[in-house]
Amino acid sequence: MAVRVHIHATHRQFTNGMEVVATAGNTVSECLNHLIKQFPGMEKAIFSKKDKLLNIVEVYVNHASAYPNELAHPVKDGDEIHLVLMLAGG
Amino acid sequence: MLTSKELERYDRQIMIGEIGQEGQGKLKRSRVVIAGAGGLGSPIALYLTAAGVGRIRLIDHDQVTLSNLNRQILHWEEDIGRKKVDSAGSKLRNLNSAVEIEAISETLTEGNVFRLVEDCDVIVDALDNLPTRYLLNRCAVEKRIPFFHGAVNGFEGRVMTILPGETACLRCMYRGPVPQEKFPVIGVTPGVIGSIQAAEVIKYVTGIGRLLTNRVLIYDGLTVAFSEFTVHKNSDCDHCGFPLRKE
Repeated sequence: MAVRVHIHATHRQFTNGMEVVATAGNTVSECLNHLIKQFPGMEKAIFSKKDKLLNIVEVYVNHASAYPNELAHPVKDGDEIHLVLMLAGG
Repeated sequence: MLTSKELERYDRQIMIGEIGQEGQGKLKRSRVVIAGAGGLGSPIALYLTAAGVGRIRLIDHDQVTLSNLNRQILHWEEDIGRKKVDSAGSKLRNLNSAVEIEAISETLTEGNVFRLVEDCDVIVDALDNLPTRYLLNRCAVEKRIPFFHGAVNGFEGRVMTILPGETACLRCMYRGPVPQEKFPVIGVTPGVIGSIQAAEVIKYVTGIGRLLTNRVLIYDGLTVAFSEFTVHKNSDCDHCGFPLRKE
């Protein structure tokens, strides 16, 4: 079992095209760090600096918003994390 | 009371049990503000006009350019250089002369937003940038006017319906400003998203179905997948949170 991270379409260039990446960790932060260890290009795609997500990134755990303390949000094996981007166009 | 002509015109939607003549009457009496007459505003305005809402106030400060035409289906080659609200207004009046179309060629600002949404029942977000969306969100929250959000980028789009005072607003997950960039888009994406927004407005006005409140619907046109995520009303939200809430 693992925590599955769903990668946004525009970020799949950093994950060799993978839509879902298996990670391990007890929090969203730990899982994202594990994701970045596997695919270093993801760091700039989701973080503006250490432990600070880009303002455009939204994090959902098991299809529910993890806002406001996304990175500290606890997760367990079998959970799903979705990395979603805010959209501005119309 | 519907006329015989209206009964004929809207026959197919009056046949929908949830709408009926009562729902059609509610649509006829409804007053809708659509902020933006571009990619999203086009299908929203077309479907709400076709459905027979009473009045549409269409707000956009822009003029039609060639690069709009891949997605902004209310504007045609002959309209290049015209104000978007004039171009859109003439098409909408030709589609349904019974719908009152107010074409407002103004830029939404803090100074005019309250005036521009005066006397309306719903506000539809068909804008192309986040700062103006937040301006409109705040106005909707303060005036307690239902707000129908939509946004697109490329093949992706999202929709969320906000009932001020009751459900999460657009600002409830705000973390800070996002850089404004020229966004890519294929015309079918605002077609899908704008149609869902128009459906949400019709459902709200007629009082039927389950609205997209406290959830955001995300559409991925490349895989043809819809994903739904739960969002929560934030008591610390600087637009709708407890300190600013007006009871």
